[in-house]
Amino acid sequence: MWLRSLLIAFCEWCNNSFWGHGIRNSTWLFPFVEIFHLLALGVLGGTILIVNLRLMGLRFKNEPVSELARDVRPWMLGSLAVMLLSGFLLFSTEAVKMYGNWAFRGKMLFLLAAVIYTFTVHRKVVMADQSRLAPAVRVVVAIISLLLWTGVGLGGRALGYVTTSVGSVSSLLP
Amino acid sequence: MSLASFLQWLYNTPFSITMRESLWAEPIVETIHVLTLTLFLGFAVLLDMRLLGVAMKRRRMSEVLGQLNPWLFGGFAVMIVTGVLLFCADPIAFYSTTVFKVKMIMLVLAGLNVLIFNATVGRKIAEWDLSPTTPGGAKLAAVVSLVLWVFIISAGRWIAYALPPP
Repeated sequence: MWLRSLLIAFCEWCNNSFWGHGIRNSTWLFPFVEIFHLLALGVLGGTILIVNLRLMGLRFKNEPVSELARDVRPWMLGSLAVMLLSGFLLFSTEAVKMYGNWAFRGKMLFLLAAVIYTFTVHRKVVMADQSRLAPAVRVVVAIISLLLWTGVGLGGRALGYVTTSVGSVSSLLP
Repeated sequence: MSLASFLQWLYNTPFSITMRESLWAEPIVETIHVLTLTLFLGFAVLLDMRLLGVAMKRRRMSEVLGQLNPWLFGGFAVMIVTGVLLFCADPIAFYSTTVFKVKMIMLVLAGLNVLIFNATVGRKIAEWDLSPTTPGGAKLAAVVSLVLWVFIISAGRWIAYALPPP
């Protein structure tokens, strides 16, 4: 299938890139990048959590949702950028191996869904005039957001423990 | 009982053995420990940003504290409990690393930072509650907190690399 070959070609390109090589062959670069990934996780998770807690009416009840969201948006976007960049760098150290890791695949699907959801449905509800929305709608929208991002987090934790690979990817390795 | 014999005793408790030998116990506790960072670190950063006067500027300081603190302390409690559980899995190995000891010292410093803030600038919060520019003491507390947490989290990650291989 064309998608499969495209993804494998991309993984190989990452694997062979200078940053992939550099981080893989350095003893301290991998942990260093990992720490940025972890710190950005805290900030990203915190901003997503606080907006969703507000949507559910659990925190900052006296503030409009949109205002709180606008306040934390730069931090959310900034930390998301750091996560994507550091994540890509970490991925590049063993990209071909990650292609066959089911936890990594799950994480990427959750990430794609979470990002699309955050910038479409979630954003629309957060920015909407709250008097025109049923409280139940806000709660459901918040819970879906939390579930999607939790999926990304759990996938991230799981991929380190997964050792079996999907299909026969290892046979593609040189 | 000396520290060494306490660690040895802890190592031999049935609980410690279960944590060490169970296939699922450690990954589950570790996952909770790491994912609670989104709550604890995330909210701590938001609070520090307000203390620095760079985020949530139009919100009352007392409101930000009041809204974030219960969840922040809840998250901290989860981190402490799961952290202690992880430590129990192999207390001797954890204690043998320098980075673990450094992390513990920094945790105490972070706690002292909160106590000092509450006893000084935090007590006079009514004076600057609505002001977008915060007093120097508040900024100092925020910077100390941010720096300490960056190093505490880095140290936490580093422990995994510093532990002797099983």
